[in-house]
Amino acid sequence: MIVMIVIKSLIIGAILGAAVAAGAARMFHAPEVQSMGAFRTLGELNACKGDPITHFSFGLGFFFNAAASVAGAGALTQDVVHRIIPNWAAGLLLIKNKNVEETLYNPAAMLKAGALVGAVVVTFLNTIASVIPKSAATVASKVLGPASNLLINPVMPIIFWLAALDAGRTTGIWATMLGGAAHMIMGNAVPGLVLGILIGKSVEDKGYNKATITMIAIVIILFALIAYFRGFYKTLVAAF
Amino acid sequence: MNSKLNRFLMSPWAFPLLFAMATAAVIAGTHMYIVDGHGAFNEIFVTQLMDKGLKGGDYAGAAGFAAGFLVARLLEGPLVGVLDLGGALMTGLGIGIPAVMLSAGIRWPLESFPVSLLLGAVIGGVIGALIILVRKLMPEGMAASGTDVMMGAGNAMGQWLGPIIILSAIQYSIPAGLGSFVGAAAFYYWKRPIAGGAILGAMILGALFPVIAK
Repeated sequence: MIVMIVIKSLIIGAILGAAVAAGAARMFHAPEVQSMGAFRTLGELNACKGDPITHFSFGLGFFFNAAASVAGAGALTQDVVHRIIPNWAAGLLLIKNKNVEETLYNPAAMLKAGALVGAVVVTFLNTIASVIPKSAATVASKVLGPASNLLINPVMPIIFWLAALDAGRTTGIWATMLGGAAHMIMGNAVPGLVLGILIGKSVEDKGYNKATITMIAIVIILFALIAYFRGFYKTLVAAF
Repeated sequence: MNSKLNRFLMSPWAFPLLFAMATAAVIAGTHMYIVDGHGAFNEIFVTQLMDKGLKGGDYAGAAGFAAGFLVARLLEGPLVGVLDLGGALMTGLGIGIPAVMLSAGIRWPLESFPVSLLLGAVIGGVIGALIILVRKLMPEGMAASGTDVMMGAGNAMGQWLGPIIILSAIQYSIPAGLGSFVGAAAFYYWKRPIAGGAILGAMILGALFPVIAK
């Protein structure tokens, strides 16, 4: 039985780690390249500034938390994908080579490091997670949990907002309108601010031509659809 | 050799492949949760929705919750260039699809490890390809503008993490707080980002002197 669990965990971890780490490397080339991950992962990877020890300790905090969660309820937590794999894969690569262009931003390098990290982490969590002392897990989750919540909201929205306001009048207006709408509909302003910056900058460069107007129409339709699927209209009707 | 692999991984059509791999792994993780009782890539409250179905046969909660997330994230992903793995993959596909299948009485694909991997790969590949198609239909040249603004914002984020960790460590307990800013100062002296020192300091002192529950 335990042998099967180890084999399954190694396969799952390696495939997941490879895909997630390569997807995270692609985030540094978004929006030209479609990536996968999360804005918070991008922000946190940036926050560690390519320093291996910082990447490791950031991942370690969430690793303790994941270990406590899997020992208690069998849930590995989403942090395995969002924090542990990307940060440890980056840390592993950065020990040998400090150049982020060739490591953290490079999908091929991250793919390999991610496969290794994923296999080890998932197998560890599914087998011997209960050896982590409980007090370490508690501190990690009580300190890092509130800190990353603060970072996601309000710090990240404010930073993107201020960047948009600094980037000129058109960009500032679009980002403010879409950021506000996004915060209301999706619960976080960042996706709206990013779209606002994209639209505002395109309009500043090229004016309101066919391409930019199409883009604006697509964004408005998508906001309306997202609002529907997140049940926003019911909340809206109830508020007035 | 490395650059050849890298060129492929940067191309648009590598995305469906990467997403298929990730989806295969996450659905196989859900398989492990169903069969072995641990291994799902989700938070405790999400797996509890799944548990409710496994024990009582009521999957409506899990399916509805996950489907809402999935659709919203799939629409947003191609627009901003970052597909959110939490909502789209781990909650949406990892819990939503299995919940829908289980509620329809289709249990065997999730009870077999190879089949659950394969099922995830197919679903992920199809959805990944859809996302790339949506992007191809978007107007040309839109994405190029504004990248510099966002890069600047991303870099600014980096400076916030360290101080925020220290503030939150102090709020948790005095030893953790003390450890975090002493650690941060030490890391600053060694010319490293202070976030790492703040976390290590908080965890070491916080674990040595735990908060006593009253």
